[in-house]
Amino acid sequence: MASRPSRVLALVTSAVLVAAACGPNAAPATTGAGPSSGPPATAASSAPPVQSFHVPDFEAAALRWYCCLGTGEDPAQKPTEDQVAADFATKYPGSTLKLEITTYDSAVDVLSTQIGANPPDIAGPVGIGGLASFKGQWTDLTPYLTQSGYDLGVYDPATVEFFKQDGAQIGVPFDLYPSMLWYKRDAFDEANLEEPPHEFEAKYTMADGSEVDWNYDTLREVAMKLTVDKNGKDATEAGFDPKSIEQWGFEPQRDVLAGMGAFWGAGTLVGSDGKTVEIPEPWKDAWKFVYDGVWKDHFIMTEAQFLDPKVANNDQAFNSGKVAMGENFLWITYGVAGAGSDWDLAAIPSHNGTVTAPLNADTFAILKNSKHQDAAFAAMAYLLQDRSDDLLPLYGGMPARSEEQDAFLDQLAQTEDFPEDVDWQVAKDAIEYADIPNFEAPMPVYNKSLKILETYRSRWMTTPGLDLDQQIEALRAELQAAWDAG
Amino acid sequence: MDQLPAIATTPITAPGRWRIGSLRLTPLARREARQGYLFISPWIVGFLAFTALPMIATLAFTFLNLTLTQEDPVRFVGLDNYARLAGDSRVWASLAVTLKFAAIWLPVSIVVPFVLALALNSRFLLGSSIMRTLLFMPYVVPFVAGALIWNGVLGQEGWINTALRFLGWSDPPAWLLDTTFVYPGLALISIWGVGAGVIVNLAGLRGIPTELYEAARMDGAGWWAQLRHVTIPMMSPILFYTLILGVIEVLQYFLVPLVLKNGTGEPGGTTLFYNLNLYQTFFTFQEWSYGATMAWLLFGIALATTLVLFRLSRRYVYYAGER
Repeated sequence: MASRPSRVLALVTSAVLVAAACGPNAAPATTGAGPSSGPPATAASSAPPVQSFHVPDFEAAALRWYCCLGTGEDPAQKPTEDQVAADFATKYPGSTLKLEITTYDSAVDVLSTQIGANPPDIAGPVGIGGLASFKGQWTDLTPYLTQSGYDLGVYDPATVEFFKQDGAQIGVPFDLYPSMLWYKRDAFDEANLEEPPHEFEAKYTMADGSEVDWNYDTLREVAMKLTVDKNGKDATEAGFDPKSIEQWGFEPQRDVLAGMGAFWGAGTLVGSDGKTVEIPEPWKDAWKFVYDGVWKDHFIMTEAQFLDPKVANNDQAFNSGKVAMGENFLWITYGVAGAGSDWDLAAIPSHNGTVTAPLNADTFAILKNSKHQDAAFAAMAYLLQDRSDDLLPLYGGMPARSEEQDAFLDQLAQTEDFPEDVDWQVAKDAIEYADIPNFEAPMPVYNKSLKILETYRSRWMTTPGLDLDQQIEALRAELQAAWDAG
Repeated sequence: MDQLPAIATTPITAPGRWRIGSLRLTPLARREARQGYLFISPWIVGFLAFTALPMIATLAFTFLNLTLTQEDPVRFVGLDNYARLAGDSRVWASLAVTLKFAAIWLPVSIVVPFVLALALNSRFLLGSSIMRTLLFMPYVVPFVAGALIWNGVLGQEGWINTALRFLGWSDPPAWLLDTTFVYPGLALISIWGVGAGVIVNLAGLRGIPTELYEAARMDGAGWWAQLRHVTIPMMSPILFYTLILGVIEVLQYFLVPLVLKNGTGEPGGTTLFYNLNLYQTFFTFQEWSYGATMAWLLFGIALATTLVLFRLSRRYVYYAGER
């Protein structure tokens, strides 16, 4: 007797068959080493595609899957990735998909050496920034999406827009990593402070009972009280020793200056003419806030403390358990158990009355230089659809398909190492406050601009006594010179 | 007696000047020359294929607009890349980083192997062969592994800072995380690899004729005077050789900042060495022509520095065998 899942599978497969047969580009199913065709075939060991679409015929090909411009390099992830790649040959006899892993740190450099003469066929998971690193090198999927009847309506339109470059749709949303304020409830309890609001744009109740806006001024006040030295004094008390801090009040997202700034307000460095550097005012405010937080008020780690193996060890600082509040993306779940057993999620504070919760998002994309474009589209659809049940949990991302998000968050809530009552709804709510334009969006000489931003970020985090206005102007001038030389 | 392979039947009249036109080889010499060229031909092919031709190609690249992704058509851009180089603050900042580190590392790279070799050469040192082996051993450890080990040794709670705290320095520096101490920190890591320099210096010290020291002692010279008037002049070719290698090495400095800082230039841009910037320009920024221009600037600096040093060496380097 067929089990219920098998019957569902059979029904869905039949529906897909009918849809495929009635489609304008219906192709006969073929087997063997000849041309491969898309569904009706189903993946060897996975759930059926959740969207109806038809992969056009393609010549059998040996495809290369380039990883990891985003996540994916963890040895624990590799067996599943290998299995997913191997199963591609089962679904499309005659074709193969070979996973090639390059660590994230060198992924851009290595792909640069391959992209001209020896390009892989598909890359991913890759975020908006990874795509921007190779602007103009990705296949416009629009013809394939049209031909296959690929339904983009199941995604939040904003996330679809994220994967456009110069009008070309170069990716389909796969997973999302919204950003939230991660905080340690026990730290707030010890300081006799109210926990930050879980609802975006809600008020915060101060220790004296007054209700104030949950903005960065409030956060600063709270963060200083949560910053504690080894003698138990907080950063607002006389005799506080900034050289012996045991708990920091706040950690910004410090990976890139643009990302740090985006929590204060969405923006882009690219002026309206496309070639002039214009630093968004909220980003300037963010950088000054963070700089003062590090060197004047001491509620944010210096770079030395951040890199210290006994403090944050160059990882996400909140995960060290030594930070009371940290702004970060959903992907820090990989190590958030290190924060202890009593943490929760809260809303990002507002700045000038606006809340912005930057978003990371990943996809799989096809290299324009790939010699197997049609087959690469089949592989892309296979990874995004057929194997999303395997890959989404593997990469820890929230499904981009809106209707799957609740189930994902339910699953996350049951994670063994996490507190039982984490308010995961905050993660879902954060998507509404995503930064548009995204902070990783393309800009001229993208990779060089990132390096310039990195140099300034590092300088500010390691050097006290700087005039930040001068520094920001120097940064603007250096970026402009790089763009002009472009 | 076998016939000697006469190289030239016409003597070369002026030292240092070859009159190629008058060079005549005997059949035997010609055969030997052919065999010699045959034996070295793999090297010549390798040199042409992997050094000479790529160098010529990169020189040609400097006048083009090549990129790795090449969206625009390839075209001749004249001296545009050189003009851009002149105004590129990142290039000059990275060159300044390299020069700052050179100012610290070059004296260390000359003095430390020399002093260690002096100690190893001392008749008062017991177990000198064991010490020699111990000093050389780090040189055979892969440098990446050594750099990572030193990253821990120089950490906040590493051995160096533990020792400094023991000696009374309550707040020792965060060596590789502090813009002030990062160069001394990197120099300490590089000392890890001075074993080869020690061996070269030791060989030089052992080659100094003992008669010179005996004569100096008879003239009343003490240890310092012997060092100053005998050892250092006689060692000057070795020290000069170490200096030249050190200059080239420091201009190529790349691996340690790449391994320890992942090429980020942290802290605060102090580890963005010229070669790292060059690498990023080629691969991360995907600018072949501009990267090639930067490479030729580096080559020019290395060549000019070496020529100046050779010129100066005439005054400071003593070759005992020189006629």
